[in-house]
Amino acid sequence: MTIGSFVLKNALRNKRRFTLSVLSVAMSLFLLVTLLVTLRELTNPPEDLGAALRVVVRSRISIANLLPARQRTVIEHIAGVEAVSPFTWFGGQFKNEDSMTFAQFAIEPSLMQTIFGEAKLPADQLAAFIADRRSCIVGKITADKYGLKIGQLMSLESSFYPNPIELKVAGIYAGSMDDRNVLFHHKYLDEASGDLGQVGTWWVKVRTAEDMPQVISAINQTFANTSAEVRAETERAFQLSFVSMFGNVKFLVSVICSVVVFALLLVTASTMSMAIRERFRELAVLKALGFRRRELAAFILAESFGLAMLGALVGIGSAYALFTFADIPKMTNSFFVSLEVTPRIMGLAALVAACLGVIASIAPAVAVARTTVVQGLKTLD
Amino acid sequence: MALPLNYNIRNVLIRWRATLATVIGVALVVSVYVSLQAMAAGLEKTSANTGDPRNILIVRKGSTAESSSQVTREQFQIIPYLPGIARSARDQPLVSADVIVLVTVPRRENGGEANVILRGVSPAGAELRPQVTLIAGRWFTPGKREVVVSQRLSKRFANFGLGDKFTSAGKTLTIVGVLEGGNSAFDSEVWLDADECRALFDRENYSSVLVRTENPEAAKTLMARVEADKRLPLRALPEVEYYAAQTKTAMPFKFLASALAIMMSVGAVFAAMNTMYASVGARTREIGTLRVLGFRRRAILTSFLIEGAFLSLIGGLLGCLIAAGIYILIRDHPIGTMSFDSFSETVFQFRITPWLAVKGLIFSVLLGIFGSLLPALRAARLPVIGALKSL
Repeated sequence: MTIGSFVLKNALRNKRRFTLSVLSVAMSLFLLVTLLVTLRELTNPPEDLGAALRVVVRSRISIANLLPARQRTVIEHIAGVEAVSPFTWFGGQFKNEDSMTFAQFAIEPSLMQTIFGEAKLPADQLAAFIADRRSCIVGKITADKYGLKIGQLMSLESSFYPNPIELKVAGIYAGSMDDRNVLFHHKYLDEASGDLGQVGTWWVKVRTAEDMPQVISAINQTFANTSAEVRAETERAFQLSFVSMFGNVKFLVSVICSVVVFALLLVTASTMSMAIRERFRELAVLKALGFRRRELAAFILAESFGLAMLGALVGIGSAYALFTFADIPKMTNSFFVSLEVTPRIMGLAALVAACLGVIASIAPAVAVARTTVVQGLKTLD
Repeated sequence: MALPLNYNIRNVLIRWRATLATVIGVALVVSVYVSLQAMAAGLEKTSANTGDPRNILIVRKGSTAESSSQVTREQFQIIPYLPGIARSARDQPLVSADVIVLVTVPRRENGGEANVILRGVSPAGAELRPQVTLIAGRWFTPGKREVVVSQRLSKRFANFGLGDKFTSAGKTLTIVGVLEGGNSAFDSEVWLDADECRALFDRENYSSVLVRTENPEAAKTLMARVEADKRLPLRALPEVEYYAAQTKTAMPFKFLASALAIMMSVGAVFAAMNTMYASVGARTREIGTLRVLGFRRRAILTSFLIEGAFLSLIGGLLGCLIAAGIYILIRDHPIGTMSFDSFSETVFQFRITPWLAVKGLIFSVLLGIFGSLLPALRAARLPVIGALKSL
């Protein structure tokens, strides 16, 4: 019998306990990965392909304040600006649902390709969208969720605008940062709401990346000390500004993560010490046979480490499989578009498992090292 | 005949080393569950504390939040003359037209920003909301760009202290007072004069109108009247009802509590099973002896189930204590998060109700019973002679 098979046989002698321990480690690591992935998704919105060249302009007061439509021509004349589209949140409720699972934005359809080029849409559908003022395009996730087909009508009641709108689906797009949104004509919104002359935000396409800083400061300065001051920032900064609004929630999830890791450590440590205590007499026999403390400690470490790593494999593997292959929007009721298990998160979870395996072996190893052969042989239980 | 309870209790205590890890494991599961539910409860309590049963809130038809509602000045001029509205000591109708503006302000810590509700209130506004009291400074004087902030917001945002100034929409506002909202939604607001607010932020319309009615009968009549009046495309509803419906923010907390509880409890059940199996294994001879003495299989089964339940009940109690410890630690630091109803910072207090603690304990007992079911069955099924022979 080799040393390796000796350790393996020892680990598997109580198969039920072994399975239960591996599963509890796996469950805890699964949970840890889930929390880390969710936290990452909340605090680190996905990067958008086109985002590098986009600037978002909103009211300096807050995002809930509207901007005057007259600002558009002013922004268009700033050097380095390629195109400007309004981007107004409609806040519509579809089919009397309790909560909104997708947002609707009013934009300038003719600039769809220029500004939101990463959203892939067949040319004929785009042409149909541009041609029909009362049409809209729907993101693939939302289209799938409600089974929306081209030509279908959707009526939306807004909590913000007094009049409901009715949109005809002209196309279904995919490949943008958020394939849940419904985009429609700003002109239709203006008509339906009685030409308020107001927009939510401006989305600006900048010609080159070098122009970004100048364009941003030029926009901010142009409207400084006017009745409608603005804040222009990169799309990335705009997305990240939402993260701060979540307040203490991020801290909270981090605390829960730590609690989970701690609970996990306890469970494994207790299982390990249980397995060793049961086997105290045998270890004393090994000692009597001439095995050194170091070697006995190595046996224990190998068993504990192996158990933890097997648990890690099962837990991290199943989390990876779930978040990679499952339909995330469907599972989370469109709250999350995607949940990505990054190598970093997997590495962190594996590191936790490795530490766990090592730490759990310390107490039993010390106990074995301290006992004399006679004491060990005397142990019952 | 059943085995005495004392037998189980002493068994759990004597094997404390194996027991301890399981107990702490269960305790952590229960404490996470109770704490998250306590946050949801705190949020809901904040909504429930807001609103006076005598008040009626009037908003635009179809709007789900005050901040997205609009009431024009023409509409507002009709409302004070509707029947059934209570009058103040100075014989003025108790009506407040409010303007809600969200402003982005910097946090005190780590440089982030968040939206805060700025509420413009009419002179009767404070009288209509008895839970709001001024705890420092004075009320604002209309026209002097003065505001009163809630104590909880002043702790969380930069330049929100008494006497400080902050800028929004190019105008500098001075903080002249600090209010306390009695654990209501007003604890997350900044107040100023309604008409001044409209002027500062270029708002043509009011957001909502709050009225005090003479009695519940008058309230019903008033609501029906607003509904029927063709000049008013508005909806009148009891203020209490409006705030009770603001529950979207508590939902993610409740969801997280349940999801985590389920996943963590699977792990805890595995741990409890391990402990109980080991306990059964070590006591094989003892169990054989009990059987010989005449205890039935059923008695052994019940006994082990009770032991498992007792084990995790200790964990549950410990978990509730941990949650209570967290409560004491953060009592003076209210939690803030983004409200999904108003899209602004809402500050609330962690709240452990007795019912939550009981729920946590029931949950822990269930964990123990599930975890010890299979080991208990194994104990009950041990062959008597074989068990006696085992070492």
